[in-house]
Amino acid sequence: MKIAISGLNNTDNPAPGIPLAKSLKDEYELIGFSYDPNEPGDYMGLTSKNYLMPYPSLGFEELKNRLLHIKEQSGLDAIIPNLDAELPLYIKYQDEIEAMGIKLCLPSEENFELRNKNRLDTLSKRLQITYPKTFEIGSVEELKSVSEELDFPLMIKGNYYKAYMSQNLESAIENFYKISNEWGFPILVQEVVEGEEVNLVGVADGKGELKGAVGIKKLTTTDIGKIWTGITIHNEKLLNIAKEFAKQTGWKGPFELECMVNMNSIYLIEINPRFPAWVYFATAIGINLPKMVIEIMEGKEIEPQFDYPQNKMYVRYVDELVTDFSNFITLLSTKEL
Amino acid sequence: MHTITQLILDNNVAFHPMMGNSYKLNKTGKEIIEYLKEGQSKDEIIKTLSEKYEISPDELFIDVGDFFAKLRIYGLQQ
Repeated sequence: MKIAISGLNNTDNPAPGIPLAKSLKDEYELIGFSYDPNEPGDYMGLTSKNYLMPYPSLGFEELKNRLLHIKEQSGLDAIIPNLDAELPLYIKYQDEIEAMGIKLCLPSEENFELRNKNRLDTLSKRLQITYPKTFEIGSVEELKSVSEELDFPLMIKGNYYKAYMSQNLESAIENFYKISNEWGFPILVQEVVEGEEVNLVGVADGKGELKGAVGIKKLTTTDIGKIWTGITIHNEKLLNIAKEFAKQTGWKGPFELECMVNMNSIYLIEINPRFPAWVYFATAIGINLPKMVIEIMEGKEIEPQFDYPQNKMYVRYVDELVTDFSNFITLLSTKEL
Repeated sequence: MHTITQLILDNNVAFHPMMGNSYKLNKTGKEIIEYLKEGQSKDEIIKTLSEKYEISPDELFIDVGDFFAKLRIYGLQQ
């Protein structure tokens, strides 16, 4: 089975592609989908072939033509897309892609929308989880009126990316512009909940069952919040949220839960509709979630796996390699390597 | 949600498996955690330590009280 993986960047903002490739390379032939010949995963030797892909903004026809070419040339059987920017296209056209003989394991469009930050309060109610008070705004006037209802500090968040804490109105306005200029509207204003962040990566089968999950706590992060060291945790409430999420929504495929936990409550902060870049942590401690995704695609029966050792530590580090510049030129000019 | 009984003691470090937090302890701190895990109350711990180390309960009351305050700050005791 030949599986394509996207998200091959592995610099200061690592994508999930390389951890996925490490999880699957011993059992499957892998193809790399890249958007830029500077992505390290193009040169790491984890894939048998790499292709430059059209940007998602070019639409489905471009993607379809590229996939048809790749399938004809390399015999592509399945794709695990890993980037937020490309997921809407793959999810919207998953039936068309499957009809091309390419397997996917993705949530429905409805479920994808359900975990949008501006709809998480509704989902949280369904799952009976506490969700921080959140307002959706589109102007500074609305920001001012919301800030009278909520006490500072407040989180100012983009609907898809970025979140900054603001201690006063002046900083809130600055962050409002910073995010809206880069990522557009709506902007979300959210109360700050006290507690500690915990995360969970899981895979659900689309029939209401969570098939595997690993909970972690990030011990240290980079300046942009990416994990540097982490530790496995066993938090029953977090696991139950994941199980309930899979059951209530019928979610299909990978996901990541981000929650805040304090003495009394657990708050749902975000659900990412894909693997996080630290997913190899789960593989290395015995729960190979990317492999589960392939098995779901193949319609295999999978035994749920939630048992993993506690006290296992994850350490991310910098590595380097040297390759021929001709590889870069080939990828850039022919869009293949 | 966080209770002292969940702490796992390894050398002089207490690990909280639900939260992933580790706490470095001195010898007495570790002893107090062990007594708490056994179900002893604050007064019982003071009595135990007083008899073991021959220190007056009044003196221990302040130090053990400080330790309990820290446990509350870290969310390990209500």
